[in-house]
Amino acid sequence: MQNSFYKWIPDWRGWILPIVVILAWDAMSRLDANHAYAFASLGQIWAGVVELSRSGELLVNVQASVQRALTGLLLGASAGFLVGSLVAVSRTANILITPIYHAIRQVPLLGLVPLFALWFGNGDTSKLIVVSLSAFYPVVLSTFEGMLQVDHKFQEVGQVYRLSRWQIYRRITLPAALPQIFTGFSLALAFAWLSTIGSELLFTAGAGLGNLMMNAQEASRMDVLIIVTFVIGVLGYGMSLLIKLASNHLFKWRQVG
Amino acid sequence: MTRDWKQFFPFLISPILLLLVWWWVAAAGWYADDVLVSPGAVVATLEELTANGELALHLKASFFRLLTGFGLGALTGVLFGIWMAISPRVEAFALPLFQGLRQVPTIALIPILILLLGVDEIFKVIIVTKAAFLTVALAAYDATKGVSKNYFEVARIYQLPKTTLYRKLIIPAITPPVFTGLRIAFSRSWTILVAAELLAADSGIGQMMQLGREMFRLDVVMVGVVITGLVGFSIDKLFKWAEIRLIPWQPAVKA
Repeated sequence: MQNSFYKWIPDWRGWILPIVVILAWDAMSRLDANHAYAFASLGQIWAGVVELSRSGELLVNVQASVQRALTGLLLGASAGFLVGSLVAVSRTANILITPIYHAIRQVPLLGLVPLFALWFGNGDTSKLIVVSLSAFYPVVLSTFEGMLQVDHKFQEVGQVYRLSRWQIYRRITLPAALPQIFTGFSLALAFAWLSTIGSELLFTAGAGLGNLMMNAQEASRMDVLIIVTFVIGVLGYGMSLLIKLASNHLFKWRQVG
Repeated sequence: MTRDWKQFFPFLISPILLLLVWWWVAAAGWYADDVLVSPGAVVATLEELTANGELALHLKASFFRLLTGFGLGALTGVLFGIWMAISPRVEAFALPLFQGLRQVPTIALIPILILLLGVDEIFKVIIVTKAAFLTVALAAYDATKGVSKNYFEVARIYQLPKTTLYRKLIIPAITPPVFTGLRIAFSRSWTILVAAELLAADSGIGQMMQLGREMFRLDVVMVGVVITGLVGFSIDKLFKWAEIRLIPWQPAVKA
């Protein structure tokens, strides 16, 4: 898998299909007036890039979206870590929290949008709640499972040394579960980015790449839509790459053996 | 049986408590109807929407889109995934584009698709197809790539015909992971469909919720939330059940 993933980069054959798609797209836009309306030509797209960067529109909205995703990630992941730890450590908490967690999780996140719109309005609060929730779910699960999978022998050693419950958690359970918690965290980042865009499409008020897209759609600006979609993909990829690098760096000790 | 019940019962405590608190707060009348409705009102609305056939109509519209889109996407996805894994040429040509497309969340494609296709039925089917295709194709690709090279070598030594190779080796080997991919793809398809219907639709469960939101009918929105949750849950359970039935050589189902 990994081998094949790196092998394709210098392979010229991989460039053909994307180039064909782009050229076909460009050709469609030149076909007639009707098509020019739906498909934006390469020239139009480039003009759009210049326009969006000159007016600063792109930067403002990128900033708003990235900030929203990261804030939501921080809030949701912290809450998820706390709840996951609590459920893993305490049986009572497990019995009380798990059923409600699983019940709420069944609802598709964006399906909650109309409900949040009625409760918290159309703006930033609702969006932040959606994004935080999307980051919350996977971190709860990975924290809980990571901590359950820690070998009991380690915790028994802690008991033999008469460590307190807090010490066992802090010195043994948490470090052992950390890699898996981090896996949940990187999932949470992907979900947070996705739900940032989704919530910005669905809640109309405020700045963000999703809102920029909705406006562009209403104005039939295909060039802007293409640019923004591309930017969303690149930003998402960049963030997940950063997380992967951080994970490799943080958990170097784990790769051994 | 009784022991199962005893183990199971504590897990009902908090949901029951939550329902009681909800009911009690709603009955106390502290909040307006568009902020909090009682569980009773939600049930009454559910009954009303069921009796006048509205709910069935919306569900039918949603299921049609879901099944058509998922069917198309899953079928082509499995075939394409296997093809890309088996043929080095296809892999060299298609994988980079495939990996690139994967970086864009499906939901971000909604505005482009609306502009290209309008808000008609075809748009909703296509967006579901896209969500299902990418997920399933990736699962099939990874699964086929994961089949041990040794098996292929043995097959070559025995000069196994191509059809036998597929029937006896590849298909049994990749069925469990592909099935997991199908399950994940189905729940993603459902999520994306609900989002698409919230944005642009004249029918469907998402549109029902959107109308409820616009008319400040919290009870209708709540019914929608419960129904979408139940549908997602049932689909997931159905897939897990089928996984056990259809794949006897797979010992246990992962979470």
